[in-house]
Amino acid sequence: MTLLGFLVLIAVAAIRLRDLFAVVMLFGVYSLLTAALFMNLDAVDVAFTEAAVGAGVSTVLMLSGLHLTSRWEQRPKRSPLLPLLVVGVTGAVLVHAMLDAPFVGDPQAPVQTHVTPYYIANAPVEVGMPNMVTAVLASYRGYDTFGETVVIFTAGLAVMLLLGIQQGTHNRPGLNAIGDQLVLRSVVKLLVPAILLYALYVQFHGDFGAGGGFQAGVIFATGFVLYDLAFGEGDARTVVPPGWLHRLAALGVLIYGGVGVYALLAGKPFLDYSALSADPVAGQHLGVLLVELGVGITVFAVILTIFYAFSGRGRRA
Amino acid sequence: MLLAAIVAVMVTMLLALVRAFLGPTAYDRMLAASSFGTKTVLLIALGGHAMSWHSYLDVALLYAMVNFVATVAVMRFFEYRAAREATEGGESAS
Repeated sequence: MTLLGFLVLIAVAAIRLRDLFAVVMLFGVYSLLTAALFMNLDAVDVAFTEAAVGAGVSTVLMLSGLHLTSRWEQRPKRSPLLPLLVVGVTGAVLVHAMLDAPFVGDPQAPVQTHVTPYYIANAPVEVGMPNMVTAVLASYRGYDTFGETVVIFTAGLAVMLLLGIQQGTHNRPGLNAIGDQLVLRSVVKLLVPAILLYALYVQFHGDFGAGGGFQAGVIFATGFVLYDLAFGEGDARTVVPPGWLHRLAALGVLIYGGVGVYALLAGKPFLDYSALSADPVAGQHLGVLLVELGVGITVFAVILTIFYAFSGRGRRA
Repeated sequence: MLLAAIVAVMVTMLLALVRAFLGPTAYDRMLAASSFGTKTVLLIALGGHAMSWHSYLDVALLYAMVNFVATVAVMRFFEYRAAREATEGGESAS
Protein backbone atom coordinates (compact mmCIF):
# COMPACT_ATOMS: atom_id res chain seq x y z
CA MET A 1 0.00 0.00 0.00
CA THR A 2 2.79 2.42 0.95
CA LEU A 3 4.69 1.48 -2.18
CA LEU A 4 1.60 2.08 -4.31
CA GLY A 5 1.19 5.49 -2.66
CA PHE A 6 4.79 6.34 -3.56
CA LEU A 7 4.11 5.26 -7.14
CA VAL A 8 1.14 7.63 -7.39
CA LEU A 9 3.20 10.49 -5.90
CA ILE A 10 6.02 9.91 -8.39
CA ALA A 11 3.58 9.73 -11.30
CA VAL A 12 2.00 13.06 -10.32
CA ALA A 13 5.43 14.66 -9.89
CA ALA A 14 6.54 13.35 -13.30
CA ILE A 15 3.49 14.96 -14.91
CA ARG A 16 3.90 18.30 -13.13
CA LEU A 17 7.65 18.76 -13.60
CA ARG A 18 8.95 20.63 -16.65
CA ASP A 19 12.55 19.55 -16.16
CA LEU A 20 12.75 16.47 -18.38
CA PHE A 21 16.00 15.29 -16.82
CA ALA A 22 14.31 15.09 -13.42
CA VAL A 23 11.38 13.27 -15.06
CA VAL A 24 13.76 10.65 -16.50
CA MET A 25 15.27 10.13 -13.05
CA LEU A 26 11.77 9.86 -11.55
CA PHE A 27 10.92 7.17 -14.11
CA GLY A 28 13.99 5.26 -12.92
CA VAL A 29 12.80 5.47 -9.32
CA TYR A 30 9.28 4.47 -10.45
CA SER A 31 10.69 1.34 -12.09
CA LEU A 32 12.72 0.41 -9.05
CA LEU A 33 9.67 0.82 -6.81
CA THR A 34 7.66 -1.36 -9.19
CA ALA A 35 10.43 -3.94 -9.04
CA ALA A 36 10.28 -3.84 -5.23
CA LEU A 37 6.50 -4.29 -5.46
CA PHE A 38 6.93 -7.40 -7.64
CA MET A 39 9.59 -8.67 -5.26
CA ASN A 40 7.09 -8.23 -2.44
CA LEU A 41 4.61 -10.36 -4.40
CA ASP A 42 7.35 -13.02 -4.69
CA ALA A 43 7.54 -12.60 -8.47
CA VAL A 44 11.32 -12.58 -8.74
CA ASP A 45 11.44 -13.06 -12.51
CA VAL A 46 9.20 -10.08 -13.17
CA ALA A 47 11.07 -7.93 -10.65
CA PHE A 48 14.29 -8.87 -12.39
CA THR A 49 12.96 -7.82 -15.78
CA GLU A 50 11.55 -4.58 -14.41
CA ALA A 51 14.85 -3.63 -12.76
CA ALA A 52 16.95 -4.51 -15.81
CA VAL A 53 14.69 -2.99 -18.45
CA GLY A 54 12.84 -0.22 -16.63
CA ALA A 55 15.50 1.14 -14.31
CA GLY A 56 18.62 0.21 -16.23
CA VAL A 57 18.40 0.38 -19.98
CA SER A 58 15.35 2.66 -20.27
CA THR A 59 17.05 5.37 -18.21
CA VAL A 60 20.12 5.26 -20.42
CA LEU A 61 18.03 5.22 -23.61
CA MET A 62 15.87 8.12 -22.42
CA LEU A 63 18.96 10.14 -21.47
CA SER A 64 20.48 9.55 -24.90
CA GLY A 65 17.17 10.57 -26.45
CA LEU A 66 16.91 13.61 -24.19
CA HIS A 67 20.26 14.93 -25.24
CA LEU A 68 18.94 15.22 -28.81
CA THR A 69 16.24 17.62 -27.65
CA SER A 70 15.80 20.33 -25.06
CA ARG A 71 15.97 19.72 -21.36
CA TRP A 72 12.95 21.86 -20.54
CA GLU A 73 9.47 20.93 -21.60
CA GLN A 74 7.50 23.75 -23.22
CA ARG A 75 4.20 24.88 -21.82
CA PRO A 76 1.29 23.46 -23.81
CA LYS A 77 -0.43 26.08 -25.93
CA ARG A 78 -3.90 24.56 -25.87
CA SER A 79 -6.12 23.93 -22.90
CA PRO A 80 -5.73 20.42 -21.48
CA LEU A 81 -9.46 20.03 -20.73
CA LEU A 82 -10.42 17.73 -23.62
CA PRO A 83 -7.53 15.27 -23.07
CA LEU A 84 -8.32 15.33 -19.35
CA LEU A 85 -11.94 14.42 -20.13
CA VAL A 86 -10.87 11.53 -22.40
CA VAL A 87 -8.41 10.21 -19.83
CA GLY A 88 -10.97 10.60 -17.05
CA VAL A 89 -13.65 8.67 -18.95
CA THR A 90 -11.18 5.91 -19.87
CA GLY A 91 -10.03 5.70 -16.27
CA ALA A 92 -13.62 5.54 -15.01
CA VAL A 93 -14.37 2.69 -17.45
CA LEU A 94 -11.27 0.83 -16.28
CA VAL A 95 -12.20 1.31 -12.62
CA HIS A 96 -15.73 0.09 -13.39
CA ALA A 97 -14.26 -2.99 -15.06
CA MET A 98 -11.95 -3.52 -12.06
CA LEU A 99 -14.98 -3.79 -9.77
CA ASP A 100 -15.85 -7.13 -11.35
CA ALA A 101 -12.31 -8.48 -10.96
CA PRO A 102 -11.60 -10.76 -8.01
CA PHE A 103 -9.43 -9.53 -5.17
CA VAL A 104 -5.69 -10.19 -5.17
CA GLY A 105 -5.04 -13.58 -3.60
CA ASP A 106 -8.69 -14.64 -3.66
CA PRO A 107 -8.58 -18.46 -3.71
CA GLN A 108 -11.80 -18.58 -5.74
CA ALA A 109 -10.42 -16.34 -8.52
CA PRO A 110 -10.44 -17.99 -11.97
CA VAL A 111 -6.67 -17.61 -12.11
CA GLN A 112 -6.29 -19.88 -9.09
CA THR A 113 -8.82 -22.50 -10.18
CA HIS A 114 -8.42 -22.69 -13.95
CA VAL A 115 -4.91 -23.26 -15.35
CA THR A 116 -2.60 -22.61 -12.41
CA PRO A 117 -3.29 -25.96 -10.65
CA TYR A 118 -2.61 -27.71 -13.95
CA TYR A 119 0.76 -25.95 -14.31
CA ILE A 120 1.72 -26.62 -10.71
CA ALA A 121 0.75 -30.29 -10.96
CA ASN A 122 2.16 -31.04 -14.39
CA ALA A 123 5.05 -28.65 -15.07
CA PRO A 124 7.63 -30.56 -12.97
CA VAL A 125 6.70 -33.79 -14.79
CA GLU A 126 6.13 -32.55 -18.32
CA VAL A 127 8.83 -29.88 -18.58
CA GLY A 128 10.99 -30.89 -15.65
CA MET A 129 12.30 -27.47 -14.64
CA PRO A 130 12.73 -26.10 -11.14
CA ASN A 131 11.70 -22.61 -12.23
CA MET A 132 8.03 -22.85 -13.10
CA VAL A 133 7.95 -19.34 -14.52
CA THR A 134 10.35 -20.34 -17.28
CA ALA A 135 8.37 -23.54 -17.92
CA VAL A 136 5.14 -21.57 -18.35
CA LEU A 137 6.74 -18.73 -20.31
CA ALA A 138 8.80 -20.72 -22.75
CA SER A 139 6.89 -23.98 -23.05
CA TYR A 140 3.18 -23.73 -22.21
CA ARG A 141 2.97 -20.14 -23.37
CA GLY A 142 5.49 -20.49 -26.17
CA TYR A 143 3.12 -18.83 -28.65
CA ASP A 144 2.81 -15.68 -26.52
CA THR A 145 6.56 -15.44 -26.01
CA PHE A 146 7.11 -15.90 -29.74
CA GLY A 147 4.70 -13.03 -30.31
CA GLU A 148 6.60 -10.85 -27.81
CA THR A 149 9.89 -11.61 -29.53
CA VAL A 150 8.40 -10.61 -32.87
CA VAL A 151 7.07 -7.39 -31.30
CA ILE A 152 10.56 -6.52 -30.02
CA PHE A 153 12.01 -7.31 -33.44
CA THR A 154 9.41 -5.06 -35.06
CA ALA A 155 10.24 -2.25 -32.64
CA GLY A 156 13.91 -2.51 -33.55
CA LEU A 157 12.98 -2.51 -37.22
CA ALA A 158 10.87 0.62 -36.77
CA VAL A 159 13.70 2.47 -35.02
CA MET A 160 16.07 1.41 -37.75
CA LEU A 161 13.69 2.61 -40.48
CA LEU A 162 12.81 5.91 -38.80
CA LEU A 163 16.19 6.96 -37.41
CA GLY A 164 18.76 4.64 -38.90
CA ILE A 165 22.23 4.21 -37.51
CA GLN A 166 24.40 7.01 -38.78
CA GLN A 167 27.74 5.96 -40.07
CA GLY A 168 30.86 8.05 -40.14
CA THR A 169 33.44 9.34 -37.72
CA HIS A 170 32.29 9.17 -34.14
CA ASN A 171 35.42 9.98 -32.27
CA ARG A 172 33.99 13.21 -30.86
CA PRO A 173 37.19 15.23 -30.58
CA GLY A 174 37.35 17.52 -27.60
CA LEU A 175 34.50 15.80 -25.79
CA ASN A 176 36.47 13.27 -23.89
CA ALA A 177 36.75 14.73 -20.40
CA ILE A 178 35.29 11.59 -18.81
CA GLY A 179 36.71 9.22 -21.38
CA ASP A 180 40.21 10.24 -20.45
CA GLN A 181 39.74 9.38 -16.80
CA LEU A 182 42.10 6.52 -16.10
CA VAL A 183 40.03 5.21 -13.18
CA LEU A 184 36.81 5.00 -15.18
CA ARG A 185 38.55 3.34 -18.13
CA SER A 186 40.22 0.74 -15.94
CA VAL A 187 37.06 0.01 -13.95
CA VAL A 188 34.97 -0.33 -17.12
CA LYS A 189 37.60 -2.61 -18.66
CA LEU A 190 37.38 -4.83 -15.60
CA LEU A 191 33.59 -4.67 -15.34
CA VAL A 192 32.50 -5.29 -18.93
CA PRO A 193 33.65 -8.95 -19.04
CA ALA A 194 32.01 -9.52 -15.64
CA ILE A 195 28.73 -8.02 -16.89
CA LEU A 196 28.80 -10.16 -20.03
CA LEU A 197 29.51 -13.26 -17.95
CA TYR A 198 26.65 -12.33 -15.63
CA ALA A 199 24.36 -11.97 -18.66
CA LEU A 200 25.30 -15.45 -19.85
CA TYR A 201 24.64 -16.77 -16.34
CA VAL A 202 21.20 -15.15 -16.33
CA GLN A 203 20.56 -16.58 -19.79
CA PHE A 204 21.39 -20.19 -19.00
CA HIS A 205 20.33 -20.20 -15.37
CA GLY A 206 16.77 -19.26 -16.32
CA ASP A 207 15.70 -22.90 -16.05
CA PHE A 208 16.63 -22.99 -12.38
CA GLY A 209 16.26 -19.50 -10.93
CA ALA A 210 15.20 -16.01 -11.88
CA GLY A 211 16.29 -15.07 -15.35
CA GLY A 212 15.89 -15.91 -18.99
CA GLY A 213 16.33 -14.54 -22.46
CA PHE A 214 14.69 -11.15 -21.94
CA GLN A 215 16.77 -10.17 -18.92
CA ALA A 216 19.98 -11.66 -20.31
CA GLY A 217 19.63 -9.81 -23.61
CA VAL A 218 19.16 -6.52 -21.80
CA ILE A 219 22.15 -7.11 -19.51
CA PHE A 220 24.34 -8.15 -22.42
CA ALA A 221 23.39 -4.99 -24.29
CA THR A 222 24.04 -2.92 -21.14
CA GLY A 223 27.60 -4.22 -21.11
CA PHE A 224 28.19 -2.79 -24.58
CA VAL A 225 26.34 0.42 -23.74
CA LEU A 226 28.72 0.89 -20.81
CA TYR A 227 31.69 0.29 -23.10
CA ASP A 228 30.31 2.86 -25.51
CA LEU A 229 29.80 5.39 -22.70
CA ALA A 230 33.35 5.05 -21.44
CA PHE A 231 35.34 4.67 -24.63
CA GLY A 232 33.27 6.49 -27.23
CA GLU A 233 31.30 5.22 -30.15
CA GLY A 234 34.17 4.53 -32.51
CA ASP A 235 35.51 1.81 -30.23
CA ALA A 236 32.14 0.28 -29.40
CA ARG A 237 31.25 0.08 -33.07
CA THR A 238 34.48 -1.72 -33.84
CA VAL A 239 33.51 -4.38 -31.29
CA VAL A 240 29.90 -4.75 -32.45
CA PRO A 241 29.47 -3.25 -35.92
CA PRO A 242 25.97 -1.81 -36.48
CA GLY A 243 25.68 -3.89 -39.62
CA TRP A 244 25.58 -7.06 -37.54
CA LEU A 245 22.77 -5.95 -35.34
CA HIS A 246 19.83 -6.27 -37.69
CA ARG A 247 21.13 -9.67 -38.79
CA LEU A 248 21.38 -10.74 -35.14
CA ALA A 249 17.87 -9.43 -34.40
CA ALA A 250 16.49 -11.47 -37.28
CA LEU A 251 18.58 -14.48 -36.28
CA GLY A 252 16.97 -14.61 -32.83
CA VAL A 253 13.45 -14.65 -34.27
CA LEU A 254 14.57 -17.25 -36.83
CA ILE A 255 15.93 -19.54 -34.09
CA TYR A 256 12.65 -19.29 -32.20
CA GLY A 257 10.50 -19.79 -35.29
CA GLY A 258 12.87 -22.49 -36.56
CA VAL A 259 12.30 -24.58 -33.44
CA GLY A 260 8.55 -24.27 -34.01
CA VAL A 261 8.79 -25.19 -37.69
CA TYR A 262 11.06 -28.13 -36.87
CA ALA A 263 8.43 -29.46 -34.47
CA LEU A 264 5.85 -28.98 -37.22
CA LEU A 265 7.97 -30.95 -39.71
CA ALA A 266 8.48 -33.72 -37.15
CA GLY A 267 4.73 -34.23 -37.06
CA LYS A 268 3.95 -32.42 -33.80
CA PRO A 269 2.11 -29.13 -33.17
CA PHE A 270 3.96 -25.84 -33.71
CA LEU A 271 6.44 -25.16 -30.86
CA ASP A 272 5.93 -28.61 -29.28
CA TYR A 273 9.47 -29.15 -28.04
CA SER A 274 9.02 -32.85 -27.29
CA ALA A 275 9.66 -33.38 -31.01
CA LEU A 276 13.30 -32.31 -30.54
CA SER A 277 14.40 -35.46 -28.78
CA ALA A 278 13.31 -39.04 -28.25
CA ASP A 279 12.74 -38.32 -24.56
CA PRO A 280 9.97 -35.69 -24.23
CA VAL A 281 11.45 -34.06 -21.12
CA ALA A 282 14.91 -33.80 -22.69
CA GLY A 283 13.23 -32.35 -25.77
CA GLN A 284 11.50 -29.76 -23.62
CA HIS A 285 14.83 -28.80 -22.03
CA LEU A 286 16.52 -28.41 -25.39
CA GLY A 287 13.57 -26.50 -26.80
CA VAL A 288 13.41 -24.03 -23.91
CA LEU A 289 17.18 -23.51 -24.12
CA LEU A 290 17.05 -22.74 -27.85
CA VAL A 291 13.98 -20.55 -27.57
CA GLU A 292 15.48 -18.52 -24.71
CA LEU A 293 18.67 -18.14 -26.74
CA GLY A 294 16.63 -16.75 -29.63
CA VAL A 295 14.85 -14.30 -27.32
CA GLY A 296 18.17 -13.22 -25.79
CA ILE A 297 19.82 -12.57 -29.15
CA THR A 298 16.88 -10.55 -30.45
CA VAL A 299 16.54 -8.44 -27.30
CA PHE A 300 20.29 -7.75 -27.21
CA ALA A 301 20.41 -6.70 -30.85
CA VAL A 302 17.33 -4.49 -30.64
CA ILE A 303 18.41 -2.67 -27.46
CA LEU A 304 21.85 -1.96 -28.87
CA THR A 305 20.30 -0.83 -32.17
CA ILE A 306 18.11 1.69 -30.37
CA PHE A 307 21.08 2.95 -28.37
CA TYR A 308 23.27 3.32 -31.46
CA ALA A 309 20.47 5.07 -33.33
CA PHE A 310 19.93 7.62 -30.54
CA SER A 311 23.51 8.24 -29.49
CA GLY A 312 24.89 8.60 -33.01
CA ARG A 313 22.50 11.37 -34.03
CA GLY A 314 22.59 15.12 -34.05
CA ARG A 315 26.08 15.49 -32.74
CA ARG A 316 28.54 17.95 -34.14
CA ALA A 317 31.67 16.22 -35.32
CA MET B 1 24.03 -9.57 14.20
CA LEU B 2 22.25 -9.42 10.87
CA LEU B 3 19.85 -6.85 12.28
CA ALA B 4 22.74 -4.67 13.49
CA ALA B 5 24.30 -4.79 10.03
CA ILE B 6 20.99 -3.85 8.41
CA VAL B 7 20.53 -0.91 10.77
CA ALA B 8 24.09 0.26 10.13
CA VAL B 9 23.59 0.15 6.36
CA MET B 10 20.33 2.07 6.74
CA VAL B 11 22.07 4.77 8.77
CA THR B 12 24.68 5.22 6.04
CA MET B 13 21.88 5.37 3.46
CA LEU B 14 20.25 8.12 5.48
CA LEU B 15 23.54 10.05 5.60
CA ALA B 16 23.94 9.67 1.84
CA LEU B 17 20.40 10.99 1.37
CA VAL B 18 21.13 14.01 3.56
CA ARG B 19 24.17 14.79 1.43
CA ALA B 20 22.14 14.33 -1.75
CA PHE B 21 19.57 16.89 -0.57
CA LEU B 22 22.03 19.38 0.95
CA GLY B 23 24.94 18.93 -1.46
CA PRO B 24 26.07 22.34 -2.65
CA THR B 25 27.28 21.13 -6.06
CA ALA B 26 25.90 18.65 -8.58
CA TYR B 27 28.93 16.43 -8.00
CA ASP B 28 28.08 16.03 -4.31
CA ARG B 29 24.57 15.00 -5.21
CA MET B 30 25.78 12.58 -7.86
CA LEU B 31 28.27 10.99 -5.51
CA ALA B 32 25.63 10.73 -2.78
CA ALA B 33 23.13 9.13 -5.15
CA SER B 34 25.76 6.68 -6.34
CA SER B 35 26.76 5.63 -2.83
CA PHE B 36 23.08 5.39 -1.90
CA GLY B 37 22.78 2.86 -4.70
CA THR B 38 25.79 0.93 -3.44
CA LYS B 39 24.26 0.78 0.02
CA THR B 40 21.02 -0.47 -1.51
CA VAL B 41 22.94 -3.39 -2.98
CA LEU B 42 24.21 -4.24 0.51
CA LEU B 43 20.73 -3.83 1.94
CA ILE B 44 19.26 -6.22 -0.65
CA ALA B 45 21.97 -8.77 0.10
CA LEU B 46 21.50 -8.52 3.87
CA GLY B 47 17.72 -8.28 3.83
CA GLY B 48 17.39 -11.04 1.25
CA HIS B 49 19.46 -13.31 3.45
CA ALA B 50 17.47 -12.36 6.53
CA MET B 51 14.10 -12.87 4.84
CA SER B 52 15.43 -15.91 2.91
CA TRP B 53 14.30 -14.78 -0.53
CA HIS B 54 15.52 -17.02 -3.26
CA SER B 55 18.01 -15.63 -5.79
CA TYR B 56 18.41 -12.36 -3.88
CA LEU B 57 22.10 -12.24 -4.82
CA ASP B 58 21.16 -12.14 -8.51
CA VAL B 59 18.98 -9.13 -7.81
CA ALA B 60 21.74 -7.44 -5.79
CA LEU B 61 24.24 -7.97 -8.63
CA LEU B 62 21.78 -6.63 -11.15
CA TYR B 63 21.17 -3.57 -9.01
CA ALA B 64 24.91 -2.95 -8.68
CA MET B 65 25.25 -3.03 -12.46
CA VAL B 66 22.26 -0.76 -13.04
CA ASN B 67 23.59 1.73 -10.50
CA PHE B 68 27.03 1.94 -12.07
CA VAL B 69 25.80 2.21 -15.64
CA ALA B 70 23.23 4.86 -14.71
CA THR B 71 25.87 6.94 -12.90
CA VAL B 72 28.21 6.86 -15.90
CA ALA B 73 25.31 7.65 -18.25
CA VAL B 74 24.20 10.67 -16.21
CA MET B 75 27.74 12.03 -16.06
CA ARG B 76 28.11 11.55 -19.81
CA PHE B 77 24.82 13.33 -20.39
CA PHE B 78 25.96 16.40 -18.48
CA GLU B 79 29.38 16.31 -20.11
CA TYR B 80 27.98 16.36 -23.66
CA ARG B 81 25.41 18.97 -22.71
CA ALA B 82 28.05 21.26 -21.25
CA ALA B 83 30.20 20.83 -24.33
CA ARG B 84 27.28 21.54 -26.65
CA GLU B 85 26.12 24.57 -24.73
CA ALA B 86 29.68 25.90 -24.75
CA THR B 87 29.92 25.60 -28.55
CA GLU B 88 26.45 27.06 -29.08
CA GLY B 89 27.24 29.97 -26.77
CA GLY B 90 30.48 30.59 -28.63
CA GLU B 91 28.68 30.65 -31.99
CA SER B 92 26.01 33.12 -30.90
CA ALA B 93 28.67 35.40 -29.39
CA SER B 94 30.81 35.47 -32.55
